[in-house]
Amino acid sequence: MLKVAALGLALAAPAAAAMSKGFNRVLDAVVRIDVREVAFEDGAKRFAASIGSGVILSPDGLVLTNAHVASPRAVELSVTLASLERVSARLVGWDHWTDLAVLQLDLPEVQRRGLKFTHAEFGDSTRLYVGQTVYAVGTPFGLTRTATRGIISNNNRYFEDSRGVNGYETGAFNTWLQTDAAINPGNSGGPLVTEDGKVVGISSRGYLGANNLGFAIPASTAQRVVEGLRRGAGITRSYIGLVPRALQDLENFYALALNTGLLVNSVDPGSPAARAGLRPGDILLALDGAKVDGRFPEQLPPIQNLIASAPVGSTLRLTVKRGPLTTELAVVTEKLESRVGEEWVLEKWGLSVRQVSRAFARENQLETTAGVCVIGVQPGFPADVAGLSRGDIITKVNQQPVDSLDRIKGVHAAFEARPAPVLVEAQRNHQVTLYVLKP
Amino acid sequence: MKSRVLTLVLLLLAPAVRAAELPALWAERLASVVAVEFYTESETERRPTVSYGTVIDRQGTIILPPIAVNPRLTPGQLKEFKVYRPGSAQGVAGVYLGQDALTGWHFVRAAASLARELAPITNFAAATRAEPALAEEVWGIGLRNKDEDFAPYLLVSRVALIQSLPQRTAVALQEVAGPGLPVFNRAGEFLGLAATSFGQSFVQFSRLDRSGAPVILVNVEESSAFQLAAEVLPHLGRVPANVFGRPLAWLGAHGLQPVDPEVAKFLRLDNQSAVVVSEVLEGSPAEQAGMKARDLILALDGQPLPRLKPDRVVAAYVEREVERRRPGEALALTVLRGEARLTLAVVLREEPRLMSEAERKYFDRIGLTAREFVYGDAIALRVKAATATGVIAHFVKPNGPAGVAGLRTDDWVKEIDGVPLTTFAAAAQQLAAIEADPQRPEFVLLVSRGGETAVLRIKLK
Repeated sequence: MLKVAALGLALAAPAAAAMSKGFNRVLDAVVRIDVREVAFEDGAKRFAASIGSGVILSPDGLVLTNAHVASPRAVELSVTLASLERVSARLVGWDHWTDLAVLQLDLPEVQRRGLKFTHAEFGDSTRLYVGQTVYAVGTPFGLTRTATRGIISNNNRYFEDSRGVNGYETGAFNTWLQTDAAINPGNSGGPLVTEDGKVVGISSRGYLGANNLGFAIPASTAQRVVEGLRRGAGITRSYIGLVPRALQDLENFYALALNTGLLVNSVDPGSPAARAGLRPGDILLALDGAKVDGRFPEQLPPIQNLIASAPVGSTLRLTVKRGPLTTELAVVTEKLESRVGEEWVLEKWGLSVRQVSRAFARENQLETTAGVCVIGVQPGFPADVAGLSRGDIITKVNQQPVDSLDRIKGVHAAFEARPAPVLVEAQRNHQVTLYVLKP
Repeated sequence: MKSRVLTLVLLLLAPAVRAAELPALWAERLASVVAVEFYTESETERRPTVSYGTVIDRQGTIILPPIAVNPRLTPGQLKEFKVYRPGSAQGVAGVYLGQDALTGWHFVRAAASLARELAPITNFAAATRAEPALAEEVWGIGLRNKDEDFAPYLLVSRVALIQSLPQRTAVALQEVAGPGLPVFNRAGEFLGLAATSFGQSFVQFSRLDRSGAPVILVNVEESSAFQLAAEVLPHLGRVPANVFGRPLAWLGAHGLQPVDPEVAKFLRLDNQSAVVVSEVLEGSPAEQAGMKARDLILALDGQPLPRLKPDRVVAAYVEREVERRRPGEALALTVLRGEARLTLAVVLREEPRLMSEAERKYFDRIGLTAREFVYGDAIALRVKAATATGVIAHFVKPNGPAGVAGLRTDDWVKEIDGVPLTTFAAAAQQLAAIEADPQRPEFVLLVSRGGETAVLRIKLK
């Protein structure tokens, strides 16, 4: 009987540790974030509201959250502190590739109102072990200050989604922590913490329709990104156009020693790698002399990150095996771009457009990046009446090439000032059609 | 005076007399219609298809509507043609002659034993080429299914509308004949051939969807639209010389898009139509004549493009004008490029090898039909035809080794086991060697899809 009780006590000990000073402190650093953002999708400017979570990282009021919570589309950010007081904030920077964003609390307002907050500290996410207890804290479904408990289910999960962050790419450069701590909509941006209150991850996404499959960005990635974002210039990455694939089970075919090399699955046409002569089916053995091992999918993000971390315009030395031969290729990196270009709405035409980026042009086999893509039309407005629809690529207005967003904005401004018919050339599935936008 | 009165009385009686003759007209004209059954053989199945046809000559030549044959099939896959007279359970053998590019008709010839019993539709051609009048009563023949011995039945309607699509097409109040079967007036004169039916829009309500969902219904057994005799009779002589319907005239102006009246007005094109050329195909007669992408075609041989409704019909008009010509013929195109009007002298050439002409071979153990890469593939894949090599995955067997590895229909296979493919023959040989080797555990393909490539490992055991 006594033994059982003692055992009970022993079991209770870690639970008591969960209520440590550190844990309480991190609870006080968790905030709710209310976001009002603008959307251009329907040929009109529309505003939408959403709720997310975040964690205060520094005494000067930097808040870390997800990129899918706070993006440059946000027009109003309001942060609810542990004291339940609301403070406004502004976006410092975002990085959709890692789904992270950094906000700055309005410090003058905080001081004027005499508000207090604490900040959390990062833990070492590389030392997490599967089975370790973690807590997710955040605002699921708007339920402020909710803590849920679980374990680290996997500490190196590969998850890449080309449209994962509101249509932007994510997950190519980091792996994720997987946890069974309940992560619901609204938890996004909240911290995943250990029992001693150290932030080891930022809760980011759950599988819809699954039970207890949550994902968080590891602190090791978050720390690096925060350092980059807090300087305000955003994160710049390098791009060479190599699309990798895990070698898994193909070592024999390529006559490779175990745990060597990465398979080049595709090379983007016209990319630096293509220009340097890299070909699909090649095996990348080393990057700048350092051996790479891309046998399993979870090994790909660190290798991709290695390429991305090279300064833009620098030369990477690729050691490549093609058939029995091994060659060296010198690839000059370009700046990495999202497929999603800048968006705008031409309100008098009821037309939402997005600039065609290099990645978008490549994906859609367009000859050039000149043009804007229609992302929405408003029923009954000139663009809709003329017959334009979502997915069309506008290449010319009034017989002038649309080489920038400004060009079409200019024609729209002229239309606004003095309405007159506008001739639009657009293509849909590479079929060219002319339209007239009438006042 | 007396005789005059008599004639007058007879004239007044005439329509009533003719109406009474319908059973006789019906019996005679039934000899012009047949049902044609054939099997389409694919890699894994054999499927019967039934289509209706109209007899065009005394040799027992029959035309089937364009939709009778799936365009993905090659003539080699069409087997065992049988021709049935209405109401007969006994079919006789037929031979597939090919498809004509201009009309889209498929030509089949019935065995001589049956040909004797048939009557060509030209027997019933009207003396004048006048179009039927609006509201004129028209009738046609429908055929039941095979299990009812293709029993013929009467359909009667009235002409509601006549349009150029661009072929002159009459639309009747309701279904008037089976698709591909003739339509007659009350005098028994041939008026036209029933086309594929129009889709009709309905709103479907259900218990689950009380607000209603729009649906388009198409009657596949009967049609209310028919192409007038003037679009049929002049083309009956276009019996293909070969199953691929060659010679085929080729221009190479691709993706013709109509210009709507608003745009025409903006461009100051009065009372005429135009089409935009989306793409000028590599090495084509259009390219050689100096045509550029985004040129607007205004006239053919000096004739301005007619205004046709709906707008898109004008693109079909241009295509038909090319198809009606032969390779080697000249065609003058008037185009608008920016502000300039230019005349391009094109000499049409023979169309490049078609998908239906491409060589293909099925590898059952791999679960893949490899097809020769043809010009049309280069267009679809947006690559240079002159330099593209490889084969196309024409068919991927569901759950076969290639399918399990992720290969999909229409994928472009560029390498096998790291060896870049050159000719179809070499690729077929390589695949055959892989398939014939029982020891072979796997092989690797490099495939391209939507401009991206992937390495696929295909496990054979």
